[in-house]
Amino acid sequence: MRRWIWFFIVVLLGVGFGLTYGWVINPVKYVDTTPAKLRSDYQTDYVLMVAEAYQAEGDLDLAARRLAVLGDSPPAEIVRQAMILAAQIPYADSDQELLSILASEFQTWSPNPGAPQP
Amino acid sequence: MRDERGHWYLLTGFVIGIVLGLVYAWLISPQQYQDRDTSPASLQPEFKDQYRAMIASAYVATGNLPRAEARLELLDDDDVVRALAEQAQRTLGEGNSPLQAQALGLLAVALGQGESALIPTSIPNETAAPDQTSNTPQITNTITATPDESTSEIAPANPSPLSTDLTPQATRTSNITATPLPTRTPTITPGSPFVLQENNFVCDTKITGPLIQIIAENSSGQQLSNREIIVTWEEGEDYFFTGLKPEIGPGYADFLMSPGVVYEVRMAGGGQTVPDITPAECETQSGRRYWGSWLLVFSRP
Repeated sequence: MRRWIWFFIVVLLGVGFGLTYGWVINPVKYVDTTPAKLRSDYQTDYVLMVAEAYQAEGDLDLAARRLAVLGDSPPAEIVRQAMILAAQIPYADSDQELLSILASEFQTWSPNPGAPQP
Repeated sequence: MRDERGHWYLLTGFVIGIVLGLVYAWLISPQQYQDRDTSPASLQPEFKDQYRAMIASAYVATGNLPRAEARLELLDDDDVVRALAEQAQRTLGEGNSPLQAQALGLLAVALGQGESALIPTSIPNETAAPDQTSNTPQITNTITATPDESTSEIAPANPSPLSTDLTPQATRTSNITATPLPTRTPTITPGSPFVLQENNFVCDTKITGPLIQIIAENSSGQQLSNREIIVTWEEGEDYFFTGLKPEIGPGYADFLMSPGVVYEVRMAGGGQTVPDITPAECETQSGRRYWGSWLLVFSRP
Protein backbone atom coordinates (compact mmCIF):
# COMPACT_ATOMS: atom_id res chain seq x y z
CA MET A 1 0.00 0.00 0.00
CA ARG A 2 2.85 2.37 0.82
CA ARG A 3 4.35 1.74 -2.60
CA TRP A 4 1.14 2.93 -4.28
CA ILE A 5 1.07 6.05 -2.18
CA TRP A 6 4.63 6.90 -3.17
CA PHE A 7 3.87 6.01 -6.77
CA PHE A 8 0.99 8.47 -6.94
CA ILE A 9 3.04 11.11 -5.21
CA VAL A 10 5.79 10.97 -7.83
CA VAL A 11 3.19 10.84 -10.61
CA LEU A 12 1.75 14.09 -9.24
CA LEU A 13 5.24 15.55 -9.04
CA GLY A 14 5.79 14.55 -12.65
CA VAL A 15 2.50 16.10 -13.70
CA GLY A 16 3.48 19.31 -11.92
CA PHE A 17 6.84 19.37 -13.65
CA GLY A 18 5.22 18.64 -17.00
CA LEU A 19 2.65 21.41 -16.58
CA THR A 20 5.30 23.89 -15.51
CA TYR A 21 7.44 23.03 -18.51
CA GLY A 22 4.51 23.01 -20.93
CA TRP A 23 2.88 26.18 -19.72
CA VAL A 24 5.70 28.33 -18.38
CA ILE A 25 9.12 27.22 -19.57
CA ASN A 26 8.27 26.13 -23.08
CA PRO A 27 4.66 27.03 -23.83
CA VAL A 28 2.99 26.34 -27.15
CA LYS A 29 4.00 28.90 -29.73
CA TYR A 30 1.35 29.62 -32.28
CA VAL A 31 2.25 30.31 -35.87
CA ASP A 32 0.14 31.09 -38.91
CA THR A 33 -2.70 32.44 -36.83
CA THR A 34 -5.43 34.78 -37.93
CA PRO A 35 -6.15 38.29 -36.64
CA ALA A 36 -9.20 36.88 -34.85
CA LYS A 37 -6.82 34.96 -32.56
CA LEU A 38 -4.64 37.93 -31.72
CA ARG A 39 -4.34 38.93 -28.10
CA SER A 40 -7.13 41.30 -27.18
CA ASP A 41 -4.92 44.37 -26.81
CA TYR A 42 -3.41 43.78 -30.25
CA GLN A 43 -6.92 43.47 -31.64
CA THR A 44 -7.81 46.74 -29.97
CA ASP A 45 -4.83 48.42 -31.56
CA TYR A 46 -5.89 47.03 -34.92
CA VAL A 47 -9.34 48.53 -34.43
CA LEU A 48 -7.67 51.82 -33.55
CA MET A 49 -5.72 51.68 -36.81
CA VAL A 50 -8.99 51.18 -38.67
CA ALA A 51 -10.44 54.16 -36.84
CA GLU A 52 -7.41 56.30 -37.66
CA ALA A 53 -7.63 55.39 -41.33
CA TYR A 54 -11.38 55.93 -41.35
CA GLN A 55 -10.90 59.42 -39.99
CA ALA A 56 -8.92 60.32 -43.10
CA GLU A 57 -10.64 58.15 -45.69
CA GLY A 58 -14.26 58.37 -44.58
CA ASP A 59 -15.04 55.00 -46.16
CA LEU A 60 -17.20 53.01 -43.76
CA ASP A 61 -17.52 49.99 -46.05
CA LEU A 62 -13.75 49.76 -46.25
CA ALA A 63 -13.52 50.06 -42.47
CA ALA A 64 -16.05 47.23 -42.12
CA ARG A 65 -14.07 45.01 -44.47
CA ARG A 66 -10.92 45.72 -42.49
CA LEU A 67 -12.65 44.80 -39.26
CA ALA A 68 -14.08 41.60 -40.72
CA VAL A 69 -10.73 39.83 -40.24
CA LEU A 70 -11.26 40.07 -36.48
CA GLY A 71 -14.20 37.68 -36.53
CA ASP A 72 -17.82 37.22 -37.42
CA SER A 73 -19.19 39.77 -34.98
CA PRO A 74 -20.80 42.91 -36.43
CA PRO A 75 -18.35 45.79 -36.86
CA ALA A 76 -20.19 47.83 -34.24
CA GLU A 77 -19.69 45.05 -31.69
CA ILE A 78 -15.99 44.69 -32.54
CA VAL A 79 -15.47 48.41 -32.08
CA ARG A 80 -17.48 48.36 -28.86
CA GLN A 81 -15.28 45.63 -27.41
CA ALA A 82 -12.24 47.63 -28.45
CA MET A 83 -13.63 50.71 -26.71
CA ILE A 84 -14.06 48.75 -23.49
CA LEU A 85 -10.47 47.55 -23.52
CA ALA A 86 -9.20 50.96 -24.62
CA ALA A 87 -10.86 52.44 -21.56
CA GLN A 88 -9.27 49.82 -19.31
CA ILE A 89 -5.70 50.15 -20.63
CA PRO A 90 -6.31 53.22 -20.90
CA TYR A 91 -5.75 54.72 -24.32
CA ALA A 92 -5.33 58.46 -24.74
CA ASP A 93 -8.53 60.45 -24.91
CA SER A 94 -7.94 61.30 -28.55
CA ASP A 95 -7.69 57.62 -29.46
CA GLN A 96 -10.77 56.72 -27.47
CA GLU A 97 -12.54 59.53 -29.27
CA LEU A 98 -11.57 58.01 -32.63
CA LEU A 99 -12.97 54.66 -31.55
CA SER A 100 -16.11 56.34 -30.32
CA ILE A 101 -16.63 58.10 -33.64
CA LEU A 102 -16.20 54.85 -35.54
CA ALA A 103 -18.60 53.05 -33.22
CA SER A 104 -21.27 55.69 -33.65
CA GLU A 105 -20.87 55.57 -37.44
CA PHE A 106 -21.46 51.83 -37.37
CA GLN A 107 -24.65 52.23 -35.37
CA THR A 108 -26.50 53.29 -38.51
CA TRP A 109 -24.42 51.39 -41.03
CA SER A 110 -25.77 48.49 -43.03
CA PRO A 111 -23.60 46.27 -45.21
CA ASN A 112 -23.38 47.20 -48.84
CA PRO A 113 -24.05 43.97 -50.74
CA GLY A 114 -22.13 45.25 -53.74
CA ALA A 115 -18.97 45.90 -51.78
CA PRO A 116 -16.08 43.49 -52.35
CA GLN A 117 -15.46 41.09 -49.54
CA PRO A 118 -12.04 40.68 -47.96
CA MET B 1 7.33 -12.60 0.92
CA ARG B 2 9.97 -9.89 0.44
CA ASP B 3 9.63 -7.35 -2.40
CA GLU B 4 12.89 -7.16 -4.44
CA ARG B 5 11.69 -4.72 -7.14
CA GLY B 6 13.57 -1.70 -5.72
CA HIS B 7 12.57 1.89 -6.39
CA TRP B 8 12.29 1.88 -10.18
CA TYR B 9 8.55 2.30 -9.81
CA LEU B 10 9.18 5.80 -8.50
CA LEU B 11 11.08 6.79 -11.64
CA THR B 12 8.38 5.20 -13.76
CA GLY B 13 5.70 7.18 -11.95
CA PHE B 14 7.63 10.41 -12.37
CA VAL B 15 8.05 9.88 -16.10
CA ILE B 16 4.39 9.00 -16.48
CA GLY B 17 3.51 12.18 -14.60
CA ILE B 18 5.71 14.31 -16.84
CA VAL B 19 4.15 12.83 -19.95
CA LEU B 20 0.66 13.42 -18.61
CA GLY B 21 1.55 16.99 -17.66
CA LEU B 22 3.02 17.78 -21.06
CA VAL B 23 0.09 16.24 -22.91
CA TYR B 24 -2.26 18.39 -20.88
CA ALA B 25 -0.20 21.57 -21.21
CA TRP B 26 0.60 21.28 -24.90
CA LEU B 27 -2.35 19.41 -26.36
CA ILE B 28 -5.40 19.40 -24.14
CA SER B 29 -5.31 22.83 -22.58
CA PRO B 30 -2.75 25.17 -24.08
CA GLN B 31 -5.34 27.93 -24.06
CA GLN B 32 -4.42 29.17 -20.65
CA TYR B 33 -1.11 30.48 -21.93
CA GLN B 34 -1.95 30.87 -25.57
CA ASP B 35 -2.74 34.52 -25.12
CA ARG B 36 0.89 35.27 -24.40
CA ASP B 37 2.18 34.46 -27.84
CA THR B 38 -0.53 35.49 -30.24
CA SER B 39 1.16 38.66 -31.30
CA PRO B 40 1.00 39.99 -34.86
CA ALA B 41 4.30 38.19 -35.49
CA SER B 42 2.41 34.89 -35.38
CA LEU B 43 0.01 35.83 -38.18
CA GLN B 44 -0.16 33.99 -41.47
CA PRO B 45 1.83 35.78 -44.18
CA GLU B 46 -1.24 37.12 -45.95
CA PHE B 47 -2.63 38.47 -42.68
CA LYS B 48 0.76 39.96 -41.89
CA ASP B 49 0.53 41.79 -45.20
CA GLN B 50 -2.92 42.99 -44.25
CA TYR B 51 -1.70 44.11 -40.84
CA ARG B 52 1.25 45.89 -42.43
CA ALA B 53 -1.04 47.60 -44.92
CA MET B 54 -3.28 48.70 -42.08
CA ILE B 55 -0.28 50.20 -40.28
CA ALA B 56 0.63 52.11 -43.44
CA SER B 57 -2.91 53.39 -43.90
CA ALA B 58 -3.03 54.56 -40.30
CA TYR B 59 0.35 56.23 -40.74
CA VAL B 60 -0.82 58.09 -43.83
CA ALA B 61 -3.91 59.19 -41.90
CA THR B 62 -2.08 60.38 -38.79
CA GLY B 63 1.53 60.98 -39.79
CA ASN B 64 2.57 59.40 -36.52
CA LEU B 65 5.84 57.69 -37.45
CA PRO B 66 6.90 56.51 -33.96
CA ARG B 67 3.58 54.77 -33.56
CA ALA B 68 3.91 53.14 -36.98
CA GLU B 69 7.43 51.99 -36.06
CA ALA B 70 6.21 50.48 -32.81
CA ARG B 71 3.43 48.66 -34.61
CA LEU B 72 5.75 47.36 -37.31
CA GLU B 73 8.07 46.09 -34.61
CA LEU B 74 5.32 43.70 -33.56
CA LEU B 75 5.46 41.95 -36.92
CA ASP B 76 9.05 40.91 -36.21
CA ASP B 77 10.25 41.45 -39.78
CA ASP B 78 13.96 41.01 -40.37
CA ASP B 79 14.09 44.23 -42.38
CA VAL B 80 11.07 46.44 -41.85
CA VAL B 81 11.80 48.85 -44.69
CA ARG B 82 12.43 46.08 -47.16
CA ALA B 83 9.25 44.26 -46.14
CA LEU B 84 7.24 47.43 -46.72
CA ALA B 85 8.89 48.17 -50.03
CA GLU B 86 8.43 44.63 -51.29
CA GLN B 87 4.79 44.61 -50.32
CA ALA B 88 4.33 47.96 -52.02
CA GLN B 89 5.81 46.52 -55.19
CA ARG B 90 3.60 43.46 -54.97
CA THR B 91 0.50 45.54 -54.38
CA LEU B 92 1.38 47.84 -57.24
CA GLY B 93 1.99 44.83 -59.47
CA GLU B 94 -1.41 43.41 -58.65
CA GLY B 95 -2.84 46.75 -59.68
CA ASN B 96 -5.95 46.63 -57.53
CA SER B 97 -4.96 49.08 -54.85
CA PRO B 98 -2.53 51.80 -55.93
CA LEU B 99 -3.42 53.90 -52.88
CA GLN B 100 -2.45 51.03 -50.63
CA ALA B 101 0.81 50.64 -52.48
CA GLN B 102 1.45 54.34 -52.13
CA ALA B 103 0.79 54.22 -48.39
CA LEU B 104 3.22 51.33 -47.99
CA GLY B 105 5.79 53.13 -50.10
CA LEU B 106 5.42 56.35 -48.14
CA LEU B 107 5.95 54.56 -44.86
CA ALA B 108 8.97 52.73 -46.26
CA VAL B 109 10.49 55.99 -47.40
CA ALA B 110 9.72 57.74 -44.12
CA LEU B 111 11.32 54.94 -42.12
CA GLY B 112 14.28 54.80 -44.46
CA GLN B 113 14.87 58.47 -43.98
CA GLY B 114 14.17 58.43 -40.27
CA GLU B 115 11.74 61.28 -40.36
CA SER B 116 8.09 61.91 -41.08
CA ALA B 117 8.19 65.01 -43.20
CA LEU B 118 6.07 63.35 -45.85
CA ILE B 119 2.84 63.39 -43.94
CA PRO B 120 1.36 66.26 -42.03
CA THR B 121 0.78 65.19 -38.48
CA SER B 122 -2.84 65.44 -37.48
CA ILE B 123 -2.56 63.46 -34.23
CA PRO B 124 0.64 64.49 -32.52
CA ASN B 125 -0.05 62.66 -29.28
CA GLU B 126 2.50 59.84 -29.32
CA THR B 127 1.72 58.62 -25.85
CA ALA B 128 -1.65 57.57 -27.15
CA ALA B 129 -0.24 54.49 -28.81
CA PRO B 130 -1.21 51.40 -26.89
CA ASP B 131 1.91 49.70 -28.11
CA GLN B 132 4.04 52.35 -26.49
CA THR B 133 2.76 51.66 -23.05
CA SER B 134 4.54 49.47 -20.59
CA ASN B 135 2.70 46.29 -21.43
CA THR B 136 3.83 46.16 -25.01
CA PRO B 137 7.21 46.04 -26.69
CA GLN B 138 9.17 49.22 -27.04
CA ILE B 139 11.21 50.17 -30.03
CA THR B 140 14.67 48.91 -29.30
CA ASN B 141 16.40 49.34 -32.60
CA THR B 142 16.90 52.32 -34.81
CA ILE B 143 16.11 51.99 -38.44
CA THR B 144 18.50 53.92 -40.60
CA ALA B 145 19.01 54.18 -44.29
CA THR B 146 22.19 52.25 -44.80
CA PRO B 147 24.25 53.56 -47.64
CA ASP B 148 24.22 50.91 -50.29
CA GLU B 149 27.05 51.59 -52.59
CA SER B 150 26.79 49.91 -55.90
CA THR B 151 29.03 50.47 -58.79
CA SER B 152 27.67 50.07 -62.26
CA GLU B 153 29.26 50.17 -65.60
CA ILE B 154 27.64 52.80 -67.73
CA ALA B 155 27.86 52.62 -71.48
CA PRO B 156 26.81 55.32 -73.88
CA ALA B 157 23.26 55.63 -75.08
CA ASN B 158 22.11 53.74 -78.17
CA PRO B 159 24.41 50.79 -77.76
CA SER B 160 24.72 48.01 -80.23
CA PRO B 161 22.52 45.13 -79.13
CA LEU B 162 25.55 42.97 -78.42
CA SER B 163 28.02 45.37 -77.04
CA THR B 164 31.26 43.63 -76.19
CA ASP B 165 32.95 46.72 -74.91
CA LEU B 166 32.63 46.43 -71.18
CA THR B 167 35.12 49.10 -70.37
CA PRO B 168 33.38 51.45 -68.02
CA GLN B 169 33.21 54.93 -69.36
CA ALA B 170 31.86 56.31 -66.19
CA THR B 171 31.28 54.96 -62.78
CA ARG B 172 28.10 55.70 -60.90
CA THR B 173 28.13 55.41 -57.19
CA SER B 174 24.80 55.85 -55.53
CA ASN B 175 24.85 57.08 -51.98
CA ILE B 176 21.66 57.20 -49.98
CA THR B 177 21.56 59.97 -47.50
CA ALA B 178 18.90 60.61 -44.93
CA THR B 179 18.05 63.98 -46.34
CA PRO B 180 14.66 65.46 -45.55
CA LEU B 181 12.33 65.62 -48.47
CA PRO B 182 11.67 69.07 -49.82
CA THR B 183 7.90 68.90 -49.52
CA ARG B 184 5.43 67.86 -46.87
CA THR B 185 2.89 66.44 -49.25
CA PRO B 186 2.67 62.86 -50.38
CA THR B 187 1.29 63.84 -53.74
CA ILE B 188 3.15 65.08 -56.72
CA THR B 189 4.13 68.67 -56.28
CA PRO B 190 3.10 70.85 -59.14
CA GLY B 191 5.97 72.62 -60.74
CA SER B 192 8.08 72.72 -63.80
CA PRO B 193 8.19 69.44 -65.69
CA PHE B 194 11.05 67.01 -65.44
CA VAL B 195 13.66 66.97 -68.14
CA LEU B 196 15.96 64.14 -69.07
CA GLN B 197 19.47 64.68 -67.78
CA GLU B 198 21.04 61.32 -68.55
CA ASN B 199 20.14 58.39 -70.76
CA ASN B 200 22.67 55.61 -70.39
CA PHE B 201 22.75 51.94 -71.21
CA VAL B 202 24.10 50.03 -68.22
CA CYS B 203 25.85 46.67 -68.36
CA ASP B 204 25.86 45.25 -64.86
CA THR B 205 25.81 41.53 -64.18
CA LYS B 206 24.32 42.20 -60.75
CA ILE B 207 21.11 43.53 -62.31
CA THR B 208 18.69 40.77 -63.19
CA GLY B 209 16.46 41.28 -66.16
CA PRO B 210 16.21 44.17 -68.59
CA LEU B 211 15.26 47.13 -66.45
CA ILE B 212 14.35 50.72 -67.04
CA GLN B 213 15.95 52.42 -64.06
CA ILE B 214 14.73 55.87 -63.17
CA ILE B 215 16.25 58.44 -60.86
CA ALA B 216 14.23 61.59 -60.18
CA GLU B 217 16.11 64.58 -58.81
CA ASN B 218 15.52 68.22 -58.11
CA SER B 219 17.71 70.98 -59.43
CA SER B 220 20.24 70.54 -56.65
CA GLY B 221 20.64 66.83 -57.28
CA GLN B 222 18.53 65.71 -54.34
CA GLN B 223 16.57 62.58 -55.12
CA LEU B 224 12.78 62.88 -55.09
CA SER B 225 10.55 60.12 -53.84
CA ASN B 226 6.93 59.42 -54.74
CA ARG B 227 7.24 60.70 -58.30
CA GLU B 228 5.12 58.89 -60.84
CA ILE B 229 6.64 57.50 -64.00
CA ILE B 230 4.53 56.46 -66.96
CA VAL B 231 5.69 53.76 -69.32
CA THR B 232 3.83 53.17 -72.56
CA TRP B 233 4.27 50.63 -75.26
CA GLU B 234 2.29 49.61 -78.31
CA GLU B 235 -0.21 47.51 -76.45
CA GLY B 236 -0.36 49.05 -73.06
CA GLU B 237 0.65 51.47 -70.38
CA ASP B 238 1.85 51.15 -66.81
CA TYR B 239 2.97 53.46 -64.08
CA PHE B 240 5.18 53.21 -61.06
CA PHE B 241 6.66 55.44 -58.39
CA THR B 242 10.06 56.41 -57.14
CA GLY B 243 10.89 55.64 -53.53
CA LEU B 244 9.59 52.09 -53.36
CA LYS B 245 13.14 50.76 -53.15
CA PRO B 246 14.61 53.04 -50.53
CA GLU B 247 17.55 50.73 -50.04
CA ILE B 248 18.77 51.87 -53.48
CA GLY B 249 17.70 55.49 -53.32
CA PRO B 250 14.70 57.60 -52.38
CA GLY B 251 14.36 58.83 -55.95
CA TYR B 252 14.94 55.47 -57.56
CA ALA B 253 12.43 53.28 -59.39
CA ASP B 254 12.68 50.53 -61.96
CA PHE B 255 10.50 48.71 -64.45
CA LEU B 256 11.05 45.26 -65.92
CA MET B 257 10.87 45.27 -69.70
CA SER B 258 9.73 42.44 -71.93
CA PRO B 259 12.15 41.46 -74.69
CA GLY B 260 11.23 42.77 -78.10
CA VAL B 261 8.95 45.52 -76.83
CA VAL B 262 9.71 49.19 -77.48
CA TYR B 263 8.84 51.55 -74.65
CA GLU B 264 8.38 55.25 -74.12
CA VAL B 265 9.06 56.71 -70.69
CA ARG B 266 8.01 60.00 -69.19
CA MET B 267 7.50 61.53 -65.79
CA ALA B 268 3.88 62.22 -64.88
CA GLY B 269 2.74 65.80 -64.98
CA GLY B 270 4.25 66.62 -68.32
CA GLY B 271 7.82 66.80 -69.37
CA GLN B 272 10.15 65.14 -71.76
CA THR B 273 9.25 61.76 -73.24
CA VAL B 274 12.07 59.30 -73.82
CA PRO B 275 11.22 57.11 -76.83
CA ASP B 276 12.67 53.89 -78.22
CA ILE B 277 13.67 52.20 -74.99
CA THR B 278 14.02 48.51 -75.72
CA PRO B 279 15.81 45.62 -74.02
CA ALA B 280 19.32 44.96 -75.26
CA GLU B 281 21.96 42.47 -74.33
CA CYS B 282 25.45 42.83 -72.98
CA GLU B 283 28.20 40.29 -73.16
CA THR B 284 30.98 39.50 -70.75
CA GLN B 285 34.57 38.95 -71.85
CA SER B 286 33.93 35.22 -71.52
CA GLY B 287 31.10 35.50 -74.02
CA ARG B 288 28.19 35.12 -71.63
CA ARG B 289 25.23 37.26 -72.58
CA TYR B 290 22.96 39.01 -70.15
CA TRP B 291 20.38 41.77 -70.18
CA GLY B 292 21.49 45.34 -69.84
CA SER B 293 19.40 48.15 -68.39
CA TRP B 294 18.57 51.70 -69.26
CA LEU B 295 19.34 54.32 -66.67
CA LEU B 296 17.31 57.51 -67.08
CA VAL B 297 17.94 60.44 -64.80
CA PHE B 298 15.20 63.05 -64.77
CA SER B 299 15.71 66.40 -63.18
CA ARG B 300 13.32 69.19 -62.34
CA PRO B 301 14.98 72.48 -63.30
